[in-house]
Amino acid sequence: MKKIMIIEDEKTICNELSQLLENNNYETIVLKNFEDALNEILYSSPDLILLDINIPYINGEILLKNLRKTSSIPVVMVTSRNSEIDEVLSMSYGADDYITKPYNPTILLLRISAIFKRCDTNTNSISHKDFTFDVSKGIIKNDKDEISLTKNEIIIFNLLLNNKNRIVSKDEIMTDLWNNDEYVNENALTVNISRLRSKLADMGYTNIIETRKGIGYRII
Amino acid sequence: MKFLKYVKDNILNILIYFSTLILICLMLGAFKIKIYINITIFIILLFNGIVIILLSYFRKYRFYNSFVNNLEKLDKKYLILETIPEPNTYEEKIMVNSLYEINKSMIENIKLHQSNINEFKEFVEMWIHEVKIPISSMILKCHNHNEIKTQEFSNLIRRLDNNIDQILYYVRSEDTEKDFIISEVNLKEIVRNISLKNKDDLLENKITLKVNINALQVNTDKKWLEFILNQIVNNSIKYKKDNNSLIRIESVEEKEKIVLSIYDNGIGIPESDITRVFNKSFTGTNGRDKVKSTGMGLYIIKNLCNKLGHNIYIQSKENKYTKVIIEFGKNNIYKF
Repeated sequence: MKKIMIIEDEKTICNELSQLLENNNYETIVLKNFEDALNEILYSSPDLILLDINIPYINGEILLKNLRKTSSIPVVMVTSRNSEIDEVLSMSYGADDYITKPYNPTILLLRISAIFKRCDTNTNSISHKDFTFDVSKGIIKNDKDEISLTKNEIIIFNLLLNNKNRIVSKDEIMTDLWNNDEYVNENALTVNISRLRSKLADMGYTNIIETRKGIGYRII
Repeated sequence: MKFLKYVKDNILNILIYFSTLILICLMLGAFKIKIYINITIFIILLFNGIVIILLSYFRKYRFYNSFVNNLEKLDKKYLILETIPEPNTYEEKIMVNSLYEINKSMIENIKLHQSNINEFKEFVEMWIHEVKIPISSMILKCHNHNEIKTQEFSNLIRRLDNNIDQILYYVRSEDTEKDFIISEVNLKEIVRNISLKNKDDLLENKITLKVNINALQVNTDKKWLEFILNQIVNNSIKYKKDNNSLIRIESVEEKEKIVLSIYDNGIGIPESDITRVFNKSFTGTNGRDKVKSTGMGLYIIKNLCNKLGHNIYIQSKENKYTKVIIEFGKNNIYKF
């Protein structure tokens, strides 16, 4: 399980953020001692850091600058200051992404998983049961057969496969589609999923996508 | 400075001088002084009087004429003190000194107001950043406890966030140069952010969103353009028709510019209102009758567009469509 460190001085946000991340299968650590932030980060060695700019004792940007001297842990800057200057500054200090408060939680999750994907080089194909799914080509392959998916189907299938253990809500799928410039509505989403199902059924995988009414979908 | 007016101002002095002159000549006549001596004295004194008038006129003329002329030519009249010639006479000195004092106290007064305004703006900006923290906690809370009721809360919070953004950009749009960075910005990315921001509203209102971005890169400030587009899309959602709603965002490249248009098939704007929609506090019939409006949204947008150097205009037919068009220049002056 990936470990994410939250550096944020606002208690409520901290709690909710941990819960959000834990609901999505991440382990979270909350930084408590801001005075000795750098050492505590290095000691707990997280896989990713969510860093607020306005924190006590030390400015987030400075902390990032110091951190980069010794470590290349991915860092997402989170802030309520939304001026271009802050963004440029953070990126120049070596932040991997920048997101302004108030953020859409689903988008935050998508960005985090995008960074992890970038770090893990061999995520181009995902295996499940006895088939492999080549994400960049959009092809599902097993010993006998091979089918190709449309862009929307690729996005949906990829999201479901990356979250095998839990139910993915319609809203999450929709957000991911919109995030990839596919502005579909709910009807189109249903159509896309039933097409994906019938393509999978053609290969012999019936009922692989389970519908949970009113909640979302899950890969079995 | 007119000579006749000057004479008129000094008419009392002149009258006293000439009546004294005539009195002297009459007295000399009464003492039986020879007539040619009398005439010579008269002419000398007359000449003397005219010279005095002319001399004092020209001395004043030098000072006041340049004063009046400079004042006329100056764009910022309060800078007059810098242009007037060195005062020579007592009168001129009094005037210049009083002007100086007046100017000084006025500048102090303006400074006071300026610093009050700046303090207020700083406070508002700080406050906005503060208030965004509880908003983001609320958004996270809603997301973590996903039930039907939190959906409604999410919508309300989003509206609140939009309103707060509006103040932030209003405060910034007044004196903003400090706060924008022009760079090459990807339109597709901006449209994506805006769509994601309004996704729930669009889906809930069953509005079809069509995006067709052909020209990708424009020179602008990312945050500001996002705010501008967000306001426009918000308006499109607000003033939609009841069914078959559509929003179409397109960009095309033309010879000297890149044109971004946001089209919706909503209720449109009445012809009588369309020229005034960018005015401060203008609400129009739509803003008054159908949806409550502050009348500030489009004004702020126009202001920001002016600062960024983009042209913005609006085309509409009542009950048919509204189309907002933003033109980005293709020149590279802004780049660095």
